[in-house]
Amino acid sequence: MKRKLLSVILGLTLMISTLSGCSSKSTETDTAGTVAPTEAAESGISAVGTTEMEVQGDDVTTINVWTFIALHQEFYTKMAENWNEQHPDKKVKLVLSNMQYDDMHNKLSLALESGEGAPDVVDIEVSKFPAFTTGTIGLRDLTDVIAPYKESVVQARLNLYSKDGKFYGLPTHVGATVAFYNDDILKAAGINYEEIKTWDDFKAAGVKYFEATGKYFATVETSAQWMTSLMLVQKGGNYLDADGNLAVNNDKMVEVLTYIKGMQDTGAFGVIPGGQPDTEEAYAAFNAGDYAVQIMPFWQTSRFVNYMADIKGKVGIAPTPVWSTTDGEAQSIGGGGTGTAIIASGPNADLAAEVMAFIKLSPEANKEVWNILGFDPVNTEVWTDTTLTQNPDNQFVQYFKNYPFDTLNAIKDNIGGLSSQTDEKWPSINNEFCTVTLNNIFENGMDIKEALDESQATLENEFQ
Amino acid sequence: MNNNKNKKRRKQQLVKAGMVILFIGLAVLILIPIYAIFLASFKPGGMLVQYGLNLDIDFKQMSLNNYIVMFFGKHEYWRWFFNSIFLTVATVILTLLVSAFVGYGFAAYDFKGKNILFVCVLIILSIPLEVVMLPLYKQMSEWKIMNSYTAIALPFLAHASTIFFFRQYLMGLPKSLLEAGRIDGATEYGIFFRIIVPIMKPAFAAMAILNGMNSWNNYLWPLLVIRSSEKYTLTLGLNTLLNPYGNNYDLLIVGSFFSIVPIFILFVCFQRYFIEGMTAGAVKG
Amino acid sequence: MFKKFFYSQKIAPYVFILPFLLTFLCFWIVPISNGVLLSFQDVLKDKWVGAKNYQRLLTDKIFFKAIFHSVRYMIGTLVLLIPFPMLFASLLNSKLMKKPGLFKSIYFIPALTSVVVAGIIFRLMFGELDSSLANRVLTLLGESPIKWLHGELTSFFALLLLCCWRWTGVNILYFTAGLQSISTELFEAASIDGANAWQQFTRISFPLLKPTTIYVVTISIYAGLSMFTESYMLWAGKNSPNNVGLTIVGYLYRQGIEKRALGYACAVGLVLLIIIMFINIIQLILNGTFKKEER
Repeated sequence: MKRKLLSVILGLTLMISTLSGCSSKSTETDTAGTVAPTEAAESGISAVGTTEMEVQGDDVTTINVWTFIALHQEFYTKMAENWNEQHPDKKVKLVLSNMQYDDMHNKLSLALESGEGAPDVVDIEVSKFPAFTTGTIGLRDLTDVIAPYKESVVQARLNLYSKDGKFYGLPTHVGATVAFYNDDILKAAGINYEEIKTWDDFKAAGVKYFEATGKYFATVETSAQWMTSLMLVQKGGNYLDADGNLAVNNDKMVEVLTYIKGMQDTGAFGVIPGGQPDTEEAYAAFNAGDYAVQIMPFWQTSRFVNYMADIKGKVGIAPTPVWSTTDGEAQSIGGGGTGTAIIASGPNADLAAEVMAFIKLSPEANKEVWNILGFDPVNTEVWTDTTLTQNPDNQFVQYFKNYPFDTLNAIKDNIGGLSSQTDEKWPSINNEFCTVTLNNIFENGMDIKEALDESQATLENEFQ
Repeated sequence: MNNNKNKKRRKQQLVKAGMVILFIGLAVLILIPIYAIFLASFKPGGMLVQYGLNLDIDFKQMSLNNYIVMFFGKHEYWRWFFNSIFLTVATVILTLLVSAFVGYGFAAYDFKGKNILFVCVLIILSIPLEVVMLPLYKQMSEWKIMNSYTAIALPFLAHASTIFFFRQYLMGLPKSLLEAGRIDGATEYGIFFRIIVPIMKPAFAAMAILNGMNSWNNYLWPLLVIRSSEKYTLTLGLNTLLNPYGNNYDLLIVGSFFSIVPIFILFVCFQRYFIEGMTAGAVKG
Repeated sequence: MFKKFFYSQKIAPYVFILPFLLTFLCFWIVPISNGVLLSFQDVLKDKWVGAKNYQRLLTDKIFFKAIFHSVRYMIGTLVLLIPFPMLFASLLNSKLMKKPGLFKSIYFIPALTSVVVAGIIFRLMFGELDSSLANRVLTLLGESPIKWLHGELTSFFALLLLCCWRWTGVNILYFTAGLQSISTELFEAASIDGANAWQQFTRISFPLLKPTTIYVVTISIYAGLSMFTESYMLWAGKNSPNNVGLTIVGYLYRQGIEKRALGYACAVGLVLLIIIMFINIIQLILNGTFKKEER
């Protein structure tokens, strides 16, 4: 019986393989475009697990750290070694646990609630941050340890992790939103991306590109709001009204979404697989040249290097378009990111705060933020250090057509922010937009005002 | 007359052929997803991202790399795997003992309140765990046994459906057996451990498999309870490979496929008990 | 003294029942009571809010959407996973079929996979890429590829398919077990009387399978109403677009764990409990269980 079962299963397997073998030839040619898998695996982006630093000496303080990006572990370990060299009297040993994104945040909130099982240090994602600065705050006020670096750190980024004037998170990067243009395919269609200054230019270039190639120019987002938030800030809009009340169906929001809908209606802008550029499906589509432009935070550089190897040397970085070049509106906003927080009740909270401030804000650390992670460092002191920013051995410098920091320096003093992003309502608003509102508008063709009213009602019900 | 018989036989053969086609077709449909993930376990993760899961075969792209990663790479897959094995074995042994103990109590004795208590067993049978999940979770947290295998297993050691099954199984037991034991000087508990447990072997086998499958595949409750990654079970661990900050498909797919293997081997070896265990409730209930 | 008490034949049964009694009290009665209490609180702010959570439930469209999805899913599984497996089991059980055991074994294989693994497989098969399996099939049928897991109906289809894939084999086993308890003489006698296969099925198999059918219907109802992991995995732990995959338990998880509104989540849980108890009672009445016990 057992044998027979196995033999039949094997037989069926063979049968199916021969059947499907016939049809597989057609795909052979385009598999060349596959994203290099080994690179992704080696970078260990989502390896889950615990790593412990090895530290010599007796008087070493152990600090437990939770992260949800394995790459951060590597960086923290390296910088902690640096710290130990400089402070032999205050040596630390980091024990790093990497967990799944949602899971880690859920567990953190539960640990804080029950007062049991929380780590000393934790990376909290920006859209989840307000949830931890609501009610009784279990995080340590970091204003004192930030003070030495405050002058040179981008203020908008610090504000994202603040509440009532107190800072609770140490930023990893600025995440300044910029535009990534695939210059090769744009040139072939007769478009010079450096001439795109306003959203109208952007839209017109899209139409021109679409007419020349039949391919999409850029994406309309349904599962993120990188471009949507940026356009809203540039218009001076918000998700809340002046008193902090929920107002997602405001006029400026309608204007912005109507404009984006207009872009979609030209046919030149489509919803990218995955619903936004920072998904695996989208990496593949962009890598294959199906889309020409991404409006994304600066840290997308690391995704380009890791997942879009085929278009190396073809991508240029430029400031994002604006509504009007003359009214001095924001050229960029910070997007995404993680704030490193210290658990206030931890036994070594003070030391942990001091060490993490060094690891995340000091100039030497910020150099490594660029070298290892490819992010735009929050400490702008290092932005002008050309030995760093134009280092020909740096893989990020090598990847892009122009020097990434040229764009950063151009927008440096004009990085805006959204006050609603630090509001306790933000996680829910963001979730509603990225799962319901934008889908309704750009996938299901619902009327914009109607979709916004509906979301407003849903959210009001939640906050009542 | 003869002609008629022939016709009938023909018709029967046609029906037979139709049935064979139907069931083979169904078998193929059911095996396709398994086959697809089996194929995918040889494909690089990047290919999966770019093309989705399908039945394409391209020998140039396929390799044993994922298996090499699984067996020799730096990750915690095997730790999860052995955690799952440990948890499953421990849970099954304890659940069987406790539930058999209770089941025997219901089957062998008459006592005050028995009927009410048995109705309680039946009520629990129909309440999904999800209903009490959150308060139960809070309670575990108050008891300070969060993040432990105790918290995963403890609430379900006296497992309603297993108790029910054992009780049904033992109902037909001749009371004379117990009397004989008592005359021999065995205590009430001695009777259970020395006389009853040995004769329950087939029932144990069926329930071991049912509970083992549940424990091996359990997800939601461990997800709530376990906090540190070194205690993750296989299902929890596999899910952590899906991450908004980069999915590790290389390990995910081969790991998912491989997670079916141990239970599949058990199935092939102990098929009879699987079927008995699964259908126990349907026939006797 | 204690020993004698402990070993007495009067006390022993209670010792045997004790583990269950403790489980029942600690892990069912206490949590359910706590759940009731919590549902009248705002746990995060640690204060009593009266019936506010329930009032909010009544005006919460998303919650009703979740109930709708759960009930629809339950009905879908009942429609697909009762008649077809019953028919298949009858066919497999007839003498015409060779090697029924082999087929039953194959059909059982999906039940061996965990929902997590099954969810991963189906998520990728129903991916939005043109070359994912589901879209390939569509292309073969001359349709253009779609985003399966975005649409209300298409994602329902994917969920149902996942459920059928995992449970068809198990339900076939249930019905086979039921059929095997029917005496073969009955079929033989019917056959001699000239009843054809269909008549045998409707007159003998179907009525005599009633206990099995009731059992399968019952577990399908509870499993269907409390479905969560399937949809959780199909959208990789994220909220589904437009909440197309949201179920009652999914909403309970979202509110209780993701949004930390434990009190509100407990209210959701109690509504589910009430729905299930309601169905329970209806079923008991329909089956005449009450009458039987009176006799």
